[in-house]
Order: sequence, then C-alpha cells, then structure tokens
Amino acid sequence: MDGQTTTLAAADAGTEVEQESQADAATAVADPWVTIVWNDPVNLMSYVSYVFESYFGYSPAKAQQLMLQVHHDGRAVVSSGPRERMEVDVQAMHGFGLWATLRQSGASDGGVEGGAA
Amino acid sequence: MTPFRSAPAGYVARWEDVEREVLARVARDVAELVRAESGLEPGVEVGDGVAFTGVARVPQDPAVQRLLPDAHQDDADVATEFRHLTQTDLAAGKVARLLAFADAIDSPDELPDDPRSAAEVVVPRESAQEFAGALTDVRLVLAERLGMVDDADVEALHDDVLAGLDEDEDDETDDDAADDDVPDEYAGWERVGLSGRERRYWGGVFVAAGFAQESLVDEMLADLRAGRSEG
Repeated sequence: MDGQTTTLAAADAGTEVEQESQADAATAVADPWVTIVWNDPVNLMSYVSYVFESYFGYSPAKAQQLMLQVHHDGRAVVSSGPRERMEVDVQAMHGFGLWATLRQSGASDGGVEGGAA
Repeated sequence: MTPFRSAPAGYVARWEDVEREVLARVARDVAELVRAESGLEPGVEVGDGVAFTGVARVPQDPAVQRLLPDAHQDDADVATEFRHLTQTDLAAGKVARLLAFADAIDSPDELPDDPRSAAEVVVPRESAQEFAGALTDVRLVLAERLGMVDDADVEALHDDVLAGLDEDEDDETDDDAADDDVPDEYAGWERVGLSGRERRYWGGVFVAAGFAQESLVDEMLADLRAGRSEG
C-alpha cells in the first residue's frame, strides 16, 4: 500500500494564509474565554480540517486557515465565548483527539491574538 | 489495505486479516489502558453515554495524558476542575469507540469469495466519526510509544517503514530472523530502547492506521462539504 500520509505538522509552509478571521475569534467577541488548539505531529491535516468544519461549522477556507495557523504558530484560537461554552468546546476537541486548552482571552500568557500582526 | 472509498453502504476498504487482527488488538489494548489510567472501574458500562460514578484521576501514562490532557496550561485549579467534570465521560467515550472499532474490524460484513483477497471493512456513515476518532487515539498512543515528539520523528519513521517494506525479504537472514516477528504486547515497551525490529513493526501499524484514517477522512470531508453545498 501507499503509506504516505500528510500530518497536521507537515502542512505546506508556503501556503498563504488569511490571518483576519482568527483575530476575529479572539477580539471581536466581548466574552472573556477562548479555546486554543495546539500543534501535534500526529493528527492529519484533513482530520483537523474535518473537526473544525464539522464541529464548529466553519467554512473549508476558515477551517484550513486555522489548521495552518496551528501548524505555523504552534496553536490557534478556534473559538471564543463564555467559559462554560469553551469548556464544552475543549471537551469536544479532546474527544476528537486534538490537544486543546481554554483560558481567559485577556490573559497575557498566551499571546495568541498577536498572531494576526 | 486499500483506501476507504465512498459507497452506498458507507465507507469501504479492504484490509488483510493480519491488518484487522493487529489493529483490533491494539485498539483493545488502548481501551484497557485508558480505562485503567483514567479511573474507570472494570465492568462499568461505557456505552450509550451513561453517566457513571468513577472518580477521575490524573493519568500517569504519558500516552493517556495526551488523550486526556490538562485543559489549562497555567491554572491547575481550572485543569483539575475540568478533569473532575469531564474525564469520566471522555474516557468512557474513548473506550466505547475503541471497542466498537475493534469489533467492527474483527467481524467484517462480508467475507471475500476469494480467500486470498482482503475482507471488506464497511464503516457506516453514521459511525464514521467514531471510527476515525478511534484511529486517532490508536495513532496518538502508538506515536507516544514510538517516542515521536515532532514532525521530523514522524517523517523519519515513515521513511524507515516504507524502506523496510522493500527490505523484508533480505531481512529474513538477519540475526533476529529466528525470532517471532511480532512483539507480545506493545504496552511492555520502554520509552527508549525499542529494537529496530519493534520500531519497524509498530511503526508499520502506525503508518497503516494513518493510511486508513487519511483515506476515510478525505471521503468524510468530501461528503460533509457536498452536503453543505446542497443545503
């Protein structure tokens, strides 16, 4: 068989990425918590896109942009809102096998919002 | 192993007997590992989203820590509370779908007319997400056991496994050729010190699981997008 697979971490570094909607996720909503998905070398690009499209209902373009941001920056904010909703999202991500955390979006330890600069 | 392809009955691939046996065994081992490490009591019913009374504890095995990670990087209280509230359900869901995955590939829907050909594995669309999720958990545990921490590790393993496929016949004359080529159980691995043969064997399982998952998810993604554009 052809065993070649494309993992999340093998995403093409040359692909141009629209950075705007990821900033929206962190800043355009006033609610104070965010869900962050972290890079790993195992999960497939297609699987991560599937999770973002099927669970969050994101468009293929937005899902791919977030998936590539996870790869390039090591993490991406994938949703924001009240803490209780972020807990639901993080639990769902863990269910899918993605490595996810939540935190208050105003916290200075993550620096994820700066990724749009 | 053939790629999954969309069909009326679901997503269909053909897996060799040994592929089904090994992946089913690994999935059951991972299920048992998750159950033991997460504090689920033996014999507790894991199906149907039943709430149960197990007490969540922090997994000690790094592979299970990856499946049930801390939900906050810096705030231990938030992570602990999250684990208390969610881990039992999460772990039970993972155990249930790993066992369902093993049962599904153990009992293929059709036996081939030609015994030399591989039996079909049929994944109904409504259970495809669970099947893909089980493959993810299997791959995450195998990756941890293989000591793969970054992209380069995975790429190197891929290259080694694919190169090994071509060398199999030559290898029969190696010094370890008389050994059983199948390690007894993956759980006995040390984090370091895998033999080359073990690494190639489990690396082969990892690569096969990735091949299956990638072809399955490609079809799931195509169906998801097609359904969306219709709606």
